[in-house]
Amino acid sequence: MKWHRVKALLLKCYYLTINSPDRLCDMFYWPLIDLFVWGFASFYIKDISDVNVLSALLGGIILWVFVWRSSQDIAVYVLEDFWGKNLYHLFSSPVRFSEHLLSIITFSFFRALASGTFMALIASLLYSFSLFSFSPLVVGLSIFLLSLFGWTTGLFVTALIFRFGQRIQVLAWSTVWIIQPFSCVFYPLSSLPVWGQWIARLLPTTYIFENMRAMMLGHPVDYSTYAISFIISMIFFGIGLVVVHWSFQSARKMGMLEKGD
Amino acid sequence: MDVIEVKNLCKSYGQLKAVDHISFSVKKGEFFGLLGPNGAGKSTTINMLTGLLEKDSGHISLLGKDPVTDWEYVKNRMNVATAYYPLTEVLTIRQNLRVYGRMYDIPKREQKIDEMLKQFELNDLQHHRVITLSSGERTRVALCKGLLNDPELLFLDECTVGLDPDIAEKTRRILKEYQRERHATFLFTSHYMHEVEELCGRIAFMNKGKILKIDTAHNLKKLITKMTVSLGIKEGKGALLKEFLVAEGVEVIFAENNALIFEVPSRGEKVYKIMNKIFKKGFKLSDLHIQRPTLDDLFIAVARGKK
Repeated sequence: MKWHRVKALLLKCYYLTINSPDRLCDMFYWPLIDLFVWGFASFYIKDISDVNVLSALLGGIILWVFVWRSSQDIAVYVLEDFWGKNLYHLFSSPVRFSEHLLSIITFSFFRALASGTFMALIASLLYSFSLFSFSPLVVGLSIFLLSLFGWTTGLFVTALIFRFGQRIQVLAWSTVWIIQPFSCVFYPLSSLPVWGQWIARLLPTTYIFENMRAMMLGHPVDYSTYAISFIISMIFFGIGLVVVHWSFQSARKMGMLEKGD
Repeated sequence: MDVIEVKNLCKSYGQLKAVDHISFSVKKGEFFGLLGPNGAGKSTTINMLTGLLEKDSGHISLLGKDPVTDWEYVKNRMNVATAYYPLTEVLTIRQNLRVYGRMYDIPKREQKIDEMLKQFELNDLQHHRVITLSSGERTRVALCKGLLNDPELLFLDECTVGLDPDIAEKTRRILKEYQRERHATFLFTSHYMHEVEELCGRIAFMNKGKILKIDTAHNLKKLITKMTVSLGIKEGKGALLKEFLVAEGVEVIFAENNALIFEVPSRGEKVYKIMNKIFKKGFKLSDLHIQRPTLDDLFIAVARGKK
């Protein structure tokens, strides 16, 4: 792996972002809409029931953006190369697939960080909510683990794109939303039916959001749940890497890098 | 030294044999052409050589190395230019060249990009997005990228499609100069036969995944054994002349009162003998055109499945 090639690919992602209103917009527009919807909804819930769910909802929505952005960006930046039939130039150059993935993962992390920071700022201004009411270590750990899982789902979607082409591109936008209901972002694990709880326990995201809500209720930080989340994430991430590598080799065999589909 | 060495290369997609046991070698400094109708296997061959496509079997050596195990060495010394796949369309020309400049770790990148833009007359367009460019302009951008890392080996897959005659001529000149100065090796495919003839020392003629013949353009043209003679005939004696030629065993392919076209073997003196007989018989001509075999004829013959 050569750093100058990773930097070249990061530069390409940067140019793609600043030249494309779509890519700029999705960093700020949808997160902002989410903040408005969930913020005002929690005001309404408080009015009718005296239950304050604002912190739990805002904390959930801000942290969720790291899964969402990380996953979607990896798939969409890979799709950009399919749409532009750009894989031809990319992989006839010295670029290795691992360098391509590393650059996209790195860039997606910075985009997620920009979205998350923007949301934290807006939440602080509109609702006086501070993400750093939790310790910086907890926030940092949560961001890392959620991003790691976002990259993992991004890798699985990328693997499917390299295997089946653009016809399954809808997964780039929809996969994280299939996972979200079982990640207990806005409600506790106990709210799910038993079969749903089994699925939720297999997701590393569940442990982060459960811990966040526990801390809001005054419980101490349970670092063992972060360890469980990390182990599950690493298992999925490892499988994701193997699957995406196999899928890329299969694309090279079938001539998909040349045709772009 | 052989810069490209291919032995028994094969690639199939299901039952279709896209490339079927082909072997050839290209020497350093050679401009080598791959010719053949659509689906002949030219692009599949280039894609396997550039690492975009995995071969089923066979041996490839580039620049004296195995491109799989010595990926880094080979890829940094080669490049590809094609008119079919544009660079990233959302990016401007300069942004694209910056990205590829970094990929190849080119020293003094901005200066090199300026040189390339000037050489291909793209200075005024450098801040335009690729998506807004005409096909000819995109082709020039592809060539800029192709020469950006001063490659020792360059694959040019239909790289002059869409260029106007003036720019196409300049491009050929640039490529020839580059080859002469750097002693670079080119693998070239094109559907413009005059271009192939002008640039390529040797040509491999492909069809249905196989190489039919490798030779110079001059020798390949000899495979076409007939030349075409077109006559303009005075006094409306076309029918009479046709009768005369058929009696002489000549193959007449078109005849009317004032015009006649016939074919004769391209080797030997048959055409001169026939023309002498025509004049001696008293036929008066208003026009005479002898069409010698061209690569186009060979191309058409192969495409139509003639032996």
